[in-house]
Amino acid sequence: MKTLRRMSVAILIVTLAAMVLACGAQPYECTDEWGCAVFEAGETIKLAYVGPMTGDYSAFGVDISRGVELAVKDHGTVQGFNIEIIVEDTQGASEQGAAVANKLSADSRVVAVVGHTFSGSTEVSIPIYDKSGVVMMSPSATNPSLTGLGSSVFNRVAFTDEMQGQAAAQYIYETLGARQIVVMHDGGAYGQGLAGVCADAFEGLGGTVLGTEAVTPGEADYSAPLAAVAALDPDLVYFGGYDADAAVLVSQMAGAGLQEAMFFGCDGTYGANYLNLAGSSAEGTFSTYVPIPESEAFSKFRTDYQADYGQEQGELSPFSPHGYDSAALLLNALDKVAVKSGDQLIIPRKALADAVRATADYSGLTGNISCTAVGECAAASIKFMQVQGGEWTEGPGQ
Amino acid sequence: MVDLKKILPKRFFSRGNWVQPVLAVVFSAFLLWRLYRILFVEQIYGPDTWVKFAISGLILGSVYAVIALGYTLVYGILFMINFAHGEVMMLGAYTGYFTLEAFRGAGMLDWNWAGPIVEGIAAGLGASPDAATEAGAIASLVLVVLIAFVLGMLVSMLTAIGLERIAYRPLRQAPRLVPLISAIGASLFLQNAAQLMFGATPRVYNNPTLLNRDAGWTLLVGGEWVEYAGVTVWEGKPVLITYTGVITFVMSILLMVLLLILVQRTKMGKAMRAVAEDKQTAALMGIDIDRVIGNTFAVSGLLAGAAGVLWGLHMGRLNPIVGFLPGLKAFTAAVLGGIGNVAGAMMGGITLGVLEALGPGLLGMPFQLKDVLAFSILVLVLIFRPQGILGEVLSEKKM
Amino acid sequence: MNLGATLRRGLLVGIVALFLFLLGLPTLVGNVVMGWFNFASAAPGAWLLLCVLALWTGAAAVRQTTQPSWGQVLLNGLLAGLLPGLIVGIYVFTTGSLIAADAAVREWLVQVTPEAVGLFTVGLAPLAAAALIAGVLTAAGLVGGVLAALSVRYQWGAFLRRRWQAGREAIITQPVVQKSVRFPYTRYILYGLGAVLLLIAPLFLGQYWTYTLGLVGIYIILGVGLNVVVGLAGLLDLGYVAFFAIGAYTVALLTAPTPHGIMMSFWLALPIGVVLAAMAGVLLGIPVLRMRGDYLAIVTLGFGEIIRILSKSDVLTSFTGGPRGVRSVASPVLFGFDLSDYFYHLILVAIVLVVFLSHRLQNSRVGRAWMAMRDDEDVARAMGIHVLKYKLLAFAIGASFAGLGGVLFASRNLFTGPEDHALLVSINVLCLVIVGGMGSIPGVVMGSLVLKGLPELLRELSDYRMLAFGTLLVLMMILRPEGLWPSKRRRMELHEEDEQMAKPATGDSP
Repeated sequence: MKTLRRMSVAILIVTLAAMVLACGAQPYECTDEWGCAVFEAGETIKLAYVGPMTGDYSAFGVDISRGVELAVKDHGTVQGFNIEIIVEDTQGASEQGAAVANKLSADSRVVAVVGHTFSGSTEVSIPIYDKSGVVMMSPSATNPSLTGLGSSVFNRVAFTDEMQGQAAAQYIYETLGARQIVVMHDGGAYGQGLAGVCADAFEGLGGTVLGTEAVTPGEADYSAPLAAVAALDPDLVYFGGYDADAAVLVSQMAGAGLQEAMFFGCDGTYGANYLNLAGSSAEGTFSTYVPIPESEAFSKFRTDYQADYGQEQGELSPFSPHGYDSAALLLNALDKVAVKSGDQLIIPRKALADAVRATADYSGLTGNISCTAVGECAAASIKFMQVQGGEWTEGPGQ
Repeated sequence: MVDLKKILPKRFFSRGNWVQPVLAVVFSAFLLWRLYRILFVEQIYGPDTWVKFAISGLILGSVYAVIALGYTLVYGILFMINFAHGEVMMLGAYTGYFTLEAFRGAGMLDWNWAGPIVEGIAAGLGASPDAATEAGAIASLVLVVLIAFVLGMLVSMLTAIGLERIAYRPLRQAPRLVPLISAIGASLFLQNAAQLMFGATPRVYNNPTLLNRDAGWTLLVGGEWVEYAGVTVWEGKPVLITYTGVITFVMSILLMVLLLILVQRTKMGKAMRAVAEDKQTAALMGIDIDRVIGNTFAVSGLLAGAAGVLWGLHMGRLNPIVGFLPGLKAFTAAVLGGIGNVAGAMMGGITLGVLEALGPGLLGMPFQLKDVLAFSILVLVLIFRPQGILGEVLSEKKM
Repeated sequence: MNLGATLRRGLLVGIVALFLFLLGLPTLVGNVVMGWFNFASAAPGAWLLLCVLALWTGAAAVRQTTQPSWGQVLLNGLLAGLLPGLIVGIYVFTTGSLIAADAAVREWLVQVTPEAVGLFTVGLAPLAAAALIAGVLTAAGLVGGVLAALSVRYQWGAFLRRRWQAGREAIITQPVVQKSVRFPYTRYILYGLGAVLLLIAPLFLGQYWTYTLGLVGIYIILGVGLNVVVGLAGLLDLGYVAFFAIGAYTVALLTAPTPHGIMMSFWLALPIGVVLAAMAGVLLGIPVLRMRGDYLAIVTLGFGEIIRILSKSDVLTSFTGGPRGVRSVASPVLFGFDLSDYFYHLILVAIVLVVFLSHRLQNSRVGRAWMAMRDDEDVARAMGIHVLKYKLLAFAIGASFAGLGGVLFASRNLFTGPEDHALLVSINVLCLVIVGGMGSIPGVVMGSLVLKGLPELLRELSDYRMLAFGTLLVLMMILRPEGLWPSKRRRMELHEEDEQMAKPATGDSP
């Protein structure tokens, strides 16, 4: 009936109007170059964590988000205003990283982001956050080029792959004695970058890189590329990528003819998830670990982690202390720049970013943290671990 | 508006004109040239690597074949691509996983219950005790694996029957687009239900120790003269043929043979063929169409379940989307062999598996692109020879 | 009274309830309800869900007979609730005991967490809790039966319907309403109001909602394009995302500093992207046109995946940017004025353009040719319609719309990568065309709002979104294949038999 149609259209439009008028806060004028986030009394300040919460790599996201939660819990409020943690899932993909970055940038209550977790996802989000003035502190994005993009918002407490790749090459050449290696990676920013650094460093030391092989992450059968690698007969296979794919590789290595070759992973392949997935095939394989200096704060962190989540710290990934430190650093800077004006709390964005960059001598779980002018805030050192008897133990000769 | 008729020659893509044979010849020539270069000139891979590729291709292909059998059965009867077939396989794989985990949790995964029995028999027959222990271990293993298979196939069968009842039966009279979309919806539903129920993190099959994915027979292939302390010896390169791989291949052939027997020799098979040939006449002849279609789905579910458990045992890695890509490739295989044709599905599956494994090596393509190879085969087959290699077996009235 | 049917239905509902438990739905519903009414725990909502199920079972059982006696009502209601009650009770007992014994059920069935089970054991021992819930559900079944009996006896259904009609009549007969309906320009006033509201919405909605509406808008563009291909021409294209990818990658590769450094302006790259997508549509169309419907679907799916894998591959990284995608895509800059904050309006303009084109095509000769082809190709060909030409046109137009959507998407996101162009996008767009209504433009808009906009409103349900998609697709195909807001023609096509049967019974049709 025409009348009914018209009436429904009218009702639809009125509803739309009501929705439009009911929502929304007006933007606030302020003197900061990038604008300010304004919070009325009773509102919560939003701190975002971005990482792979579901999918093959969820161990990392879940673990680091727990570090962030503990940090926020320990810190308490900022000038009486509560902190709300917004967790966003990227599933480890750069594309989701961009979508999440855009989404968070559009939310004026998000003042800072702990993230992103994976280098690929971080790489694409930096220009987006740069545009909207949201400061970042990444706990685990290790690709070296990230701080070379000229961004004023990106910072990280993780070491760089430049460091990791070179240290790994040195360890492989000198301690393990390998002379001919094959480098594999999963094509992502992190894996490919790290593999490249390691390969170059290894050749610089005098070794030979027989070849580079890329695999598609997420597959169940790598026997064909492994057979191709086996044909090259290397002493060792270096893999840049994450635990789920590394586990498949090591399970199928023996079958492809690589029983003699050693397998060397990276910080992305460390964790209990890798041990679970690879089972007995993981025996003797290596990976990178970030040792945390013993301290009272760290013991407390371990106890809290176990109590709240029923799992041992460090089981899922080595990065939960980094998550803690990232969040703590951001909150520390927030404390410094947040201004109370009447009932409102005003957070100037550029001032916040500058305060984060200016962090010096901050005592965090991972060590004594000071940020450089480009945003490198790493304090930790690297150690190499080997699977012995089904457990991660320190590798020989360190 | 440009009149394409004037630009393209008449019946450009129809069968039986000159374009196709010419293209085929050119393409084959190119392939042969690539083959020659790779095998004889560049010699990147030794013969042992080629054998490895071929073996992994055969095994993968046999799994594709089993899944393809399911697709072909359903398409032959309903002219419908059962998009959710891959998910049915995934559920079978998960069931097998949980069964093995249950055994493992109860410490019974490597339980040698048959040991004493076999040893007793062996002692009576006077056979060696070592052989007896081994036989006993194998017998126990067979039971565990068999139970995993039976449960996996059962769950898959129930899922397939449920799928048919809920998502396809009400839509039998609808235009073709509608059940197809319903199938896509069912596929999404099953994938995400599995993700919600079992979690998105990948799981790995914990095989019984004897069936470890590293265990198998070693074949010595090719080789070279190697000097050992003054003596030159011909040393072959080892190629591992895993037990799981052999089981997969043998079971797939077995399943195909069983299916052929079912379809050709049993009453149910005859009813299926009748309904596939002409639904209305079959109904007039007194065949219960609903029951036959239900049976078809049940059989396709059984096959998918078996394929799922085989996949789990051999490949190991399991997640909620494990059924999607193999499902798609299995459909390619079914079309390649000729849809509706049981032997065609088997042949198509193995061919596709071998092409996928050997293709990148032979064509000098990177291994990352093997899916592109599979999809390209799909596209090319559907464009140039949609009836497949062995020809379609469908009714004349294409609904 | 068919007790067997009641028992069977009860069993089915029990199994469904079990399934819901494994999917974690009671916890979800409990959380949502807790949020709405500010309850202390999620238990009320969870129990409510199960009670509603039992209620429905009881009602359905009683409604089998037209005039049930109270004895029958009692019996059937109880039985209807008993079976689900028993099944749920057994489940609660099993999981309760397992959790109490610290068994790691979570490792197998992720949703069976101590918290989830705790909602139903409410602090009691497992056996007591099981008995409790079994009892409650049986009672709910009885209540449902009683309600059904009462509603039948007192004709509640007819009563409500009469009230609803009376209410409608009351509003319609108001002089204001009558006058406005007769006023010839009401429609335009309403449209104008709507347009103005849409234009000024960003001022009130804030950046976050504007961003979301922008995404909805892009999907509307994609939906209108797919609507042309699937809804009007009847060609099921599952690789639609390939054209989206071509538009996105064109603008990305032409305007970003890496990998090529061409640094073209956005406005120049936009038409190039659209044209390239259209060309791709024609190229794809030529070989696949002679295939039958389901094969067409699979081939296009294959094409879409080929493009995605190629763009992700290592070998083509120097051309496409590889798995890391292409960063820093240019934003639209008009006379030095950066329009990136006004993307919402840009998208609105694009929607208007696309809808206008589609509407004109639909009502033109081309549109009728498409509909004829969709109904029966052979007859259309016999009527002199050049099927090849019109199919290619449909592909090209659909592809160009997708290309436009892709250009806007990549530029707005400042990035594009291979996983942005996964099969999921094609399926999403297909969903919203189907659910909205094939061949109907308001349907596509509605579908996009429902399927893309609603999930943003209901953030807690994000885990269940794809599950809901799948269920929705199946349900819509069974119950209402023409969609939520179908074109009249489509509804007639799909319900031909129903219409013919209904005609003699009812007086006038709406």
